[in-house]
Amino acid sequence: MLLARMAEAVYWAGRHLERAEGTARIVQVHTDTHVDLPVGEDVGWEPLLAIVGVHSEFAERYSAAAEAGDAAAAEEDVVEFLLHGEGNASSIMSAVSAGRENLRTARPVVPREAWEACNNLWLACSDHMDEVKSRQGRVQWLRRVIAGCQRINGILLGTMSRDEAMSFLSIGQNLERADLTTRVLDVRSESLHSQHGDDPYDVVHWMAVLRSLAAYQPFRRAMPARPQGGATLRFLLQDDRFPRAVSACLTETRSHLKELARSEAALEACATASMVVASAAVPRLALDGLEEFLDEVQVALDAIHLRIDETYFRPSFVDWHAQSEAS
Amino acid sequence: MAISLTSGRPITLGVELPDLPVAPENGPDPVLGPWPSYNPGQFYDEMMGPDGAPRPAAEILWHHFAELGPEALAERQRAADREMRAIGVTFTVYEGTTGVDRPWPFDIIPRVVPADEWHVIESGLVQRLNALNLFIDDVYHDQRSVSSGVVPSELVAGSPNFRRECVGVDPPGGIWAHICGSDLIRGGDGTVYVLEDNLRVPSGVSYLLENRMVAKHVFPEMFRHYSIEPVDPYVGRLADLLASVSPAPGDPTIVVLTPGVYNSAYFEHAFLAQQLGVELVEGSDLVVLDDDCVYARTIDGLERVDVIYRRIDDLYLDPEVFRPDSLLGVPGLIRAWRSGRVALVNAPGAGIADDKKVYSHVPDIIRFFLGEEPILATVPTLRCSDPESLEFVRANIGRMVVKPANESGGYGVLVGPQATADQLAHASQQIEDDPKRWVAQPVIPLSTAPTLCAGEVAPRHVDLRPFTLLGPERAYVTHGGLTRVARREGSLVVNSSQGGGSKDTWVVDTSGPAPSRGPAPVAPPSRGHAGEPIV
Repeated sequence: MLLARMAEAVYWAGRHLERAEGTARIVQVHTDTHVDLPVGEDVGWEPLLAIVGVHSEFAERYSAAAEAGDAAAAEEDVVEFLLHGEGNASSIMSAVSAGRENLRTARPVVPREAWEACNNLWLACSDHMDEVKSRQGRVQWLRRVIAGCQRINGILLGTMSRDEAMSFLSIGQNLERADLTTRVLDVRSESLHSQHGDDPYDVVHWMAVLRSLAAYQPFRRAMPARPQGGATLRFLLQDDRFPRAVSACLTETRSHLKELARSEAALEACATASMVVASAAVPRLALDGLEEFLDEVQVALDAIHLRIDETYFRPSFVDWHAQSEAS
Repeated sequence: MAISLTSGRPITLGVELPDLPVAPENGPDPVLGPWPSYNPGQFYDEMMGPDGAPRPAAEILWHHFAELGPEALAERQRAADREMRAIGVTFTVYEGTTGVDRPWPFDIIPRVVPADEWHVIESGLVQRLNALNLFIDDVYHDQRSVSSGVVPSELVAGSPNFRRECVGVDPPGGIWAHICGSDLIRGGDGTVYVLEDNLRVPSGVSYLLENRMVAKHVFPEMFRHYSIEPVDPYVGRLADLLASVSPAPGDPTIVVLTPGVYNSAYFEHAFLAQQLGVELVEGSDLVVLDDDCVYARTIDGLERVDVIYRRIDDLYLDPEVFRPDSLLGVPGLIRAWRSGRVALVNAPGAGIADDKKVYSHVPDIIRFFLGEEPILATVPTLRCSDPESLEFVRANIGRMVVKPANESGGYGVLVGPQATADQLAHASQQIEDDPKRWVAQPVIPLSTAPTLCAGEVAPRHVDLRPFTLLGPERAYVTHGGLTRVARREGSLVVNSSQGGGSKDTWVVDTSGPAPSRGPAPVAPPSRGHAGEPIV
């Protein structure tokens, strides 16, 4: 037996923790890449805000520094906002807290060690918050987030029964992963294809895209091509074996949905999303129409979420009971 | 020392009011021990005997602490604090209306109880819970205890804990209070008293279990030298008990019902659900349909629930019957319970027997229903509703403990000798205004136990909360219990809601030879491994 409320809690725990890890990777890689690029060639820090989708929230609070055009201040502000900014419900700290709150609710259905690891992560993030002001302290802090999330995943993988709760957790995780991958592609690509491929730093940028999704090494092993637009897009959208590729996330989601009763509607939405991704005309997309395409993918991902939400988290139970009595 | 009662006040009140010992300076000269300045004075100390030497059951521990030294002890306390924080053991305190999660305060110096003494306490607790259950069942049926004069009728009919909805109901095995968290205290002469029987939704057992787990990590070596009775079996016994009261044949569906994350004991509710492997539900997760059955809203639709370990107070359980404004409960739950289609643990109405006014009659209740003498002592208690008692209490309020009859958690308790003149006057007025709300007891000088306070080990007052389970088939008492400690010097208030701390409690068997718990024999290295023995 799995309570609807518990299913919802583990699903959101999966999403929030995945978001925390994903955002941490993106900020980490951006910092590394920023260091590699000569002054003037870098893309600044704003793209990070776009990936997380908090541009306007940021502008409300930090407009002064942005207008002054102070690069150092901009870095500090953007990073602070992404890591733990007040008013940023999508900050890494908010995601870790929300993940913890949900796991706390779901304690009876997740392994004790997983809750403890999550509680520890939250404590460590809070305890070391002061250190993120320096780049060096920030690197440590982000590593801690990534390692903490990986630890939780490892515990779940190694000790949690493959039950319904696990299915909801994995579905949450995979939908969030797929969503993050599309966001990274969306923002990166926008800043890239305006330069029509003759940018000497093109490869550096695409490498950054791959790295921020922990995809560089798998890409190298799987694809013969250099990390440029077409090959990278194909890999991150359509590869079926790399766990952060959109297609692979959908495959995982589908396999977990199949384990659940009454998942027809969600499975159908999942199939639709897979079709959208598979139908992408990748080489051409690298030059044009990527943004619209990724919007379409995001809408399809959201549809899966909505079907799950309606089916499992808030159905009208009493009617349902009457139906099963009647049948 | 008994006080002389002025103007021929009735000696029949039978209450002696000893002075609270106040001067620790004139205690014994400590023998060479771990803490040379440790001095419990005239209080009964759980570790140190009146001669300054360790009590027999605590001897090994005492010497161990002497070897360990203060710095290592402090380091282990820090390790324990870190672990409690890391595993997320918290309790919620209310500051105004906002609940704040606090790390659970755990003092690493264990409190030791000799096994032979404990086994007497154990049988006393089972005897008491048996009798209280017979009493509750009687209250809701024939009321023989009232007609025979064992308990005055106004204590039953006039009690705010009497639930007329329970009249005539027959819970499985006639058991109403399945889980009891008793408060035990030890007086100056070493006598153990039952101070309270908590029969509604007693909490603390999760902390007892977590304290032990942390203690094992903090003093792993001690568990090798000592024969300490384990506390882990509790959860299995609880699971058996819950299953044994199920109205349905086969594997019952059991849930823990919590008021929600804002409840001060939410940690415990989640802990128990997790340990039992059952769902933790809130009222809104359950629904009672026209068939009088209880269902849970699951991802597969509505599923029938057989047993509810409820951690919501009676009055919030069912807005159809009790408080209509309660959002915590489940409409129709009492209807389902009365029809026998779901078991509630503890049953509603059980609180009739843990009323502080009924408390003073418990020895008679035991004699009446069981035909036995009570094994455990009860603190003499005066009900202020009685005019003679009222006068006595008001005259001696500075030397008594005054409590509201229907509160728990230490709220509203006034310890006379430690109160200011203003507080005493205020309490006296309150009692006069509404005497039946109040009871009074002599101050029992609670025993002390060595406790780490700001780097120093000092005597602090303790009580003990064991948990007793009573099912139709068998009874079980935790081995030891949750020792609560008043962290402020001289304070007698141990409740965690009032800033108290806690200790692990070791029931130690010193009668036989220590069990062989030496290093495990070294296994021959298995193939491909470098010979780390797997224990």
